[in-house]
Amino acid sequence: MPASKFLRDALAVTANELRQFSRNRTAIVISLFVLPFFFTVSLGGAQGGAGAHFSPTATVPMAFVDNDLSTASARLWQMLASSGDFSALVQGYREENAIALLGTGKIYAAIVVPQGFEASLHNNQTAKILLYTDDGEPGLGDQISSTLSGDVENFDPNVEVQPVRTAGIAGVQIIQKGVVFSGFSVGLTIVLAVVQIFAAFYEIAGGIAKEREEGTYARMILSPVALGSIMLGKTLYDLILSAVRTFIVLGLAVYAFGARPNTDLGTLLFLSLMLALLTMGFGFLVAALKLGTRAVVIIEFFLILFLFAFSGFIIDKELLRGISRTISTLLPWAYGIDALKRTILIGQPLLSLGTDLSALVAGLLLFYAAAYILFNLLRERLAT
Amino acid sequence: MKALVRDSVAISVKEMKQLARDPVSLILTVMFPIILIGIFIVISSAFSAPSYDIPVVVADLDGSPASKVLLDKITTTPLVRVTELLQTEEQAVRHVETGDATGAVIIPQGFGEALAHGRAFIVIQTDNSKITAPQIIQISVNSDVQTLLEESGAQFGVKAATVDVIVRPISGRPPSGDTILPGFLGMITILGAFDDAVNAITRERDRGTFPRLTLSPTSLISIYSGKMLATVFLTALRTSLMLIIFVLTGLVIRGNLILIYLTTSLIAMFTLAMGLALSSRIRSSATLTVLEIAATFPLFQLAGTTASPEILASGGRAIARALPWTYGNEALRRVIYLGLGLDAISGDLLVLFVSTLILLPIATFLSKRTM
Repeated sequence: MPASKFLRDALAVTANELRQFSRNRTAIVISLFVLPFFFTVSLGGAQGGAGAHFSPTATVPMAFVDNDLSTASARLWQMLASSGDFSALVQGYREENAIALLGTGKIYAAIVVPQGFEASLHNNQTAKILLYTDDGEPGLGDQISSTLSGDVENFDPNVEVQPVRTAGIAGVQIIQKGVVFSGFSVGLTIVLAVVQIFAAFYEIAGGIAKEREEGTYARMILSPVALGSIMLGKTLYDLILSAVRTFIVLGLAVYAFGARPNTDLGTLLFLSLMLALLTMGFGFLVAALKLGTRAVVIIEFFLILFLFAFSGFIIDKELLRGISRTISTLLPWAYGIDALKRTILIGQPLLSLGTDLSALVAGLLLFYAAAYILFNLLRERLAT
Repeated sequence: MKALVRDSVAISVKEMKQLARDPVSLILTVMFPIILIGIFIVISSAFSAPSYDIPVVVADLDGSPASKVLLDKITTTPLVRVTELLQTEEQAVRHVETGDATGAVIIPQGFGEALAHGRAFIVIQTDNSKITAPQIIQISVNSDVQTLLEESGAQFGVKAATVDVIVRPISGRPPSGDTILPGFLGMITILGAFDDAVNAITRERDRGTFPRLTLSPTSLISIYSGKMLATVFLTALRTSLMLIIFVLTGLVIRGNLILIYLTTSLIAMFTLAMGLALSSRIRSSATLTVLEIAATFPLFQLAGTTASPEILASGGRAIARALPWTYGNEALRRVIYLGLGLDAISGDLLVLFVSTLILLPIATFLSKRTM
């Protein structure tokens, strides 16, 4: 078949898909509004903007129980209250009353300075603070404990104005280098990937399943258009939608939440579209298995969950062990997500990410080739 | 009233029969919570593993006895794996920048001497594009320094720490990754009930049986009540399954089981009411399910499933407090973890109940309009 006819047919399929899309109000709302807006705004709401300083413990109500009633304990309170990490510290509770209030939602922790706090410090001994936490709230106790430990590391009972916080233990200061990214910036890489994977998979696999259920797929493969043109046409159509989604997510992140990606727009668009292409390939593969729309949706749910667990979305690959690590190594999406993080956050040049890009390309070629073979083999079965 | 109850029960029995005849749906109802919790147990175990293999490089530029002791501590820690010992800081930093190592520890020249004067420092360079690995490296190095000072502090003339924070969780449970399990019970209840709503209305619409049902002498309230009854029954089944899995994985359930069932039933009823309201606008079952999945992932964060709403930014906290599911998850945690009773969670349950009471008539009204 001449290449020009192949391409003309592919463009015709693309135009047909776009026309159908423009007539489907629900599809437009979900694909271009709900997915990109919902995910990005949820992230912004939860993590605050990219530039905003946000201490998770700042407004959490806590009791400060001073059983020592010394100058040192008063200075400790002063230091914590002015640190910006504990702005909702309440004084005046007795220890037993504060502990009894934990679990009720009125306070979430009680910082208790025991008797002998100042004496320990003056005797050059390690003084102790007790922290009672409401561990019915996931992550809250750990967060308060690590913030408090960090704040008291450099506490000096002999100075009225406490030094600015630096990580370390008395005697050895630990200087941490490497840019610290806001929760929003890290989350942006996840949101961009999730939005593309989520939408691209449903648009391809769900679209073909729907066409099969409505009978238009059978008519399409009986037309003189080659299977390759159909796949290419649908891919081009979804690439256009994926590009629009990338701009929406990035636009929201940059203009509404102050994100400053450390790479250029071209790199971002390229990686985002590569992830979408990879997912489209997987979508074609699933569609070639003659599954209904409901099955496609269920697979989509588990795909996203699977990627959440094994692709570095919320757990770094380095933290996985055994079979989980092997799965993570085999998943091509993990490489795309790694590439997104290394470019958006660190600003590493695209061409230096050879392993990630090779894995992405290998994955998408594998998916497309397997889908093409299956579509050809099951041509008649899929049309009935 | 008698007819309403009878019709509702009849509809509920019909729903259960349909589910029993649809093997895919039946398997999903049973398998879905198991697969979901399986994946999250993997996630939890990753966060609470006793050892990791986080690749770290070390550059000891000092070579003093103190730096050698510290190097020894770093290489034997179970949290990080020292992949290479390097000669210069630049080499170490380069390893992190290229992604060969997640972190680099640099012990500067003069470390041993400075330690004797209490002014020593070390440098950690981490790849902060990773989510949790940099924190683990920092915790590990902190702990190594602490051990160095405790074991050899007297030799170097420095004390270990000024102030030590002792943490006492009120439940008395050891800190572990299972803190998110009650939230997942809530999440699975939400997803299950939403799927019930999809089954109950949109799939009936797809099959064309919904108009026939509404044309029968059964009232719309009975139809919805019956579907809700079936959801409550299925939710109880899912809750039992989840609690069995929790107990098998070692979670101690401190509170009253009836309160857990009551909470999951109320979460399910609210979710079903939400599903019914949405299904009046979104007609296709597949589209509704996609929307459900899309809503699930932000809800993990916003409804207090994986993290307390108290540590969210102000906007996120406001959204969390506006979502009735947050109160359901909170109630589950208070019952399962803290063993609190009805008085402690009555406010949460009231929010769920009132939200359902408000939403259900709206859903019925919208359904009537779009019928």
